[in-house]
Amino acid sequence: MRWRLGRDSLWRWLSGACVALSLLAVVALLALIAVRGLAHFWPADIERLTLENGQQVAGIPRGGEAETRRYFTANRDLDGQVWRWIAVDSIVERETPASLVYVQRRDWGPFIGRLAAVTTPAGERLRGDAAESRLHQALAGDAELATLSLHNVEGRDVTLPFAQVQSLAWPNRMHVGDKLLAWVDGVWRFLSEAPGDGRVEGGVWPAIFGTLLMVILMSLVVTPFGVLAALYLNEVARQGPVTRLVRIAVRNLAGVPSIVYGVFGLGVFVYGLGGQIDRWFYAEALPSPTFGTGGLLWASLTLALLTLPVVIVATEEGLARVPGTLREGSLALGATRFETLKRVVVPMALPSMLTGVILAVARAAGEVAPLMLVGVAKLAPEIPLDGEFPFLHLESKFMHLGYHVFDLGFASRDAEAAMPLVFATATLLVAVIVVLNLTAILLRHHLRARHRALERS
Amino acid sequence: MTDPFVSPQRANRRARQRLDRLASGAIAASGIGVVAAVLAIGVYLTLAVLPLFEDASVEVDAEPSPATSGASIVWLAEDGEYWLSANGRVFDAQGEVTTLTDEPRVTTVTEASETLPLAVGLDNGEVSVVPRDARGQPRWSQATRWRLFASAPVAALHLQSTTHGWALAGRDADGQVAALWHDGGTARRIALPDRAEHLALGREGHLVMSQGTRLTSWKLSPDGSVAPSARAETAAPITALAFLQGSRTLVVGDAEGGLRRWRQRPDDQGWQAAETPYAALGEAPVRRLLALPRQRLWLALDADGRLGLYQAMSGQRWQGVAPEASLPVTLSSDARGNRVRWLSETGRLYRLAVEAPHAAVSTATLWMPQTYEGYASDEWRWAAAASGDAEPKYSLVPLAWGTLKAAAWAMVFAVPLALGAAVHSACYMSTRQRARLKPAIELMEALPGVVIGFVAGLLVAPFVEQHLAGTLALFICVPLGSVACGWLWRRLPARWEARLPPVGVGVGLIVPLALLCWAALSVSPWLEAWWFGGDLRAWMQQTLGWDYAQRNALIVGMAMGLAVIPTLYSLAEEALSGVPRSLAEGSLALGATRAQTLWRVQLPAAAPGILAAVMIGAGRAVGETMIVLMATGNTPLMSPSLFEGLRSLAANLAIELPEAAVGGTHYRLLLLGALLLFVFTFVVNTLAEVVRWRLKRRYRRYGARA
Repeated sequence: MRWRLGRDSLWRWLSGACVALSLLAVVALLALIAVRGLAHFWPADIERLTLENGQQVAGIPRGGEAETRRYFTANRDLDGQVWRWIAVDSIVERETPASLVYVQRRDWGPFIGRLAAVTTPAGERLRGDAAESRLHQALAGDAELATLSLHNVEGRDVTLPFAQVQSLAWPNRMHVGDKLLAWVDGVWRFLSEAPGDGRVEGGVWPAIFGTLLMVILMSLVVTPFGVLAALYLNEVARQGPVTRLVRIAVRNLAGVPSIVYGVFGLGVFVYGLGGQIDRWFYAEALPSPTFGTGGLLWASLTLALLTLPVVIVATEEGLARVPGTLREGSLALGATRFETLKRVVVPMALPSMLTGVILAVARAAGEVAPLMLVGVAKLAPEIPLDGEFPFLHLESKFMHLGYHVFDLGFASRDAEAAMPLVFATATLLVAVIVVLNLTAILLRHHLRARHRALERS
Repeated sequence: MTDPFVSPQRANRRARQRLDRLASGAIAASGIGVVAAVLAIGVYLTLAVLPLFEDASVEVDAEPSPATSGASIVWLAEDGEYWLSANGRVFDAQGEVTTLTDEPRVTTVTEASETLPLAVGLDNGEVSVVPRDARGQPRWSQATRWRLFASAPVAALHLQSTTHGWALAGRDADGQVAALWHDGGTARRIALPDRAEHLALGREGHLVMSQGTRLTSWKLSPDGSVAPSARAETAAPITALAFLQGSRTLVVGDAEGGLRRWRQRPDDQGWQAAETPYAALGEAPVRRLLALPRQRLWLALDADGRLGLYQAMSGQRWQGVAPEASLPVTLSSDARGNRVRWLSETGRLYRLAVEAPHAAVSTATLWMPQTYEGYASDEWRWAAAASGDAEPKYSLVPLAWGTLKAAAWAMVFAVPLALGAAVHSACYMSTRQRARLKPAIELMEALPGVVIGFVAGLLVAPFVEQHLAGTLALFICVPLGSVACGWLWRRLPARWEARLPPVGVGVGLIVPLALLCWAALSVSPWLEAWWFGGDLRAWMQQTLGWDYAQRNALIVGMAMGLAVIPTLYSLAEEALSGVPRSLAEGSLALGATRAQTLWRVQLPAAAPGILAAVMIGAGRAVGETMIVLMATGNTPLMSPSLFEGLRSLAANLAIELPEAAVGGTHYRLLLLGALLLFVFTFVVNTLAEVVRWRLKRRYRRYGARA
């Protein structure tokens, strides 16, 4: 028996492999997204390669295979592309000269090359160290500059207006500490700025804001209705086959595909309600629709409907955990049913309602398919909240992190160049959802411990 | 006014009770309202889909208006505003507008259309062609005359637009056929070497003629030449011909009342009759066929005065009685195909309202294979967003197939993994380990589809394309490897065991499995070179004839499998750990091993719950949108291959619904897709819920007995 694996062990190890494989897949997925998303902001060293044919290439190594490596060479305006596959055999020399500069431009994406000179608004042309020190002053806002003269490793010139410069760095000169600062700065820019040219550059602030606003509006709708429906099912309605049927129906609605909710939202909210509102209040703007097209309000309502079962189920679970003796005690002391609910039952079930809402928010934040039908936009750099009456523009289209991932990855002009941003956005989205879910899990854990204590006493 | 006899306490109590009643009412109202609103989804979808299956109808005015100039009228404009009498006078509502021709009398006019010039046949063998302005109004003053026959009166005329001008074909009373090809400035006359009783002229100079039972097809060319392209015989003499929209389908009516569709062969060589004829109007010969400009609808009229409305794919949609038994002098349709004007010999004008907005959809066109234009055989196709004259293809089968295929492959990946994990955590894990695993799996459930889909579509798909052999090798290596790990573990000296961290099998296997995967992927290129000549994909293509698409069912199966594992796991684990402990303990006490207990006691007891878990997981996989959208090529194919793309109902909704015209056939069909998804998931989930509920009751009974 020692020599062979018993049947008992066989199943133990095979089923263990299933657990391991599932966990491995998730860990690998998360690690992959996080590493590639966060590495994007790290100012990597720029390599200068001299190839067999004498050609010089400057770029940042980004993956590749054993025989050919991939370099991010930037300079779309000069080369027409930002990536190059270079055979390892053809590389004669590899170095990281300190003079190579990485410029993030507002148009045409990044530039990799050397700084030749800078020109002041007065027309003075500075070179060498003078140019660099003036440039540092200008970047800090202490001096003004008109243009930068740059040239790439092959010596081709580019004149760049200073206003085009978003950021500029010499990564090969930076220490780890500097790089860390630059990384933090990059992450901050990503979180706080609007998408730039072609959505491949810049940040995702409008998408973060749009997601948040939509989720807040949604929870404002879903919380009262979900809780009321759960109270009705659990506390008010007579328990019997009908409530059981309704409960099964509600539970099933959690399994109805999200896109079906999107279809419903499009047909009923957007075309039905929105079209009617347009005919009543915005008749002068027709035929261009105001509310009769996808927008923030309709997206929030659709997602509220989608997450309603989540809130109902979680709240009901909480209500069922409230011991009946407490209700009876309260009623026996002369409280009415409403008072019992208000003072005893609901406060005790409050954390589970909160759990439900958090789970609903987590689900809504990651849901994209229905939004594609009811109001998400590819690019809406203006956030729907501003100083103009009525301040919150419920009819406007908005950006969404999840849709941003889809759109950048599958519909952008240069999918390859957009990849790092897609990863970064996905990391952000996953982080938000993981945090929300962890909160819900901890809350529930805490809650169960409390209830157990209550039952024991 | 307060009642002086009511003490403040009593008033307070009343107020409290009123509040209580009010609150209960409010809670009940909003609770019922919420439940109703949620159920409204199904109701809304059903209501939106129903018009698709409404019957078509053709309604004839009760009151025909008498035409002013009596029986001599030969032509009516589409909007009924103009008419042309046989003596060449053009009238509108106010009276005579112009005189088209004085001497030669008008014998025939081409079928009306808003975009094509109007051709008028004269009794001296000439034709007069009237161009139209941008709004479709004829410009009578710019009419040009062309000679078609030496002297014989023109008996029938057909006109079609060409790339640079128009082509026209006509027949005289003896059956002589001639054509004109107008190309910019001049027109060439083309004499056909054959006689014909009936004519139909299609796009690009395709001319079809019939003489008795013989159907011949000709190709006219701009240089004035004509070439026969095909000939065919029919069973009964042909009595009517008409091209449908796009000129790739020909409808042929015969003397026995038969109606049959002929379609252009895919190679453009001649015509092929459909195997089954359309439902006949009656026994009498078909006299007139009028193709309506939209939706491939046409009207057929037979000698007994029966009138029918047909659609190319779905067949007969309506049958009724013609306004008058005698043949109409003029039968014309407006540009949208909703109104048909019928001018009888007795000079009465009837208006026929055609109400068939979704005629192209029937149960057969949705679910049965159809022969579409340009295809050689019956096929299931989805191409609903067809533009121009292309034939829309409305079969839901490819989408349903794609949905089920994606879900099936996802289940192939997810079921073993999730059930294995559930068995492991229910039977081989301590409570503490289980409590730690659960949140991890819940987090996995919360991963948004868009993230999984994007990783699958943009990273995994290209990777698998390059390392196909390695990926396939993983499916063999991982189970074997984990068993091998178990064997090695047994063989390890005890002192090693003490040094390794004390974790369960599930967690402990992660590192060895990761190493194993890496090893399998790096060894596979050599194996591939050895067995498959270096490229498994090329080998599959040549040897097995399998195509490989980068985003295929394998990718979507893996990605969606990952997405449904948590659902499946949670439910299956719940079912397994719900099995009363007394059962397992009894089995173990009777001397059964753990494996025997698992297979003979725990799994059978939990089987209904596991089945419910699989059903709910399948329901999720069927409705998942973003993963399928991103991890497949979204090609509506009907291929069973693991390595080809697909398009699911849900992804199709996300792609096409924003662009579909509200209320149109395409829009309602998409909503039908949504309804199918809704019904499917609802039914599956309800069944699963019922199974779970009964199982719970059974466990409770066991528990009570124990």
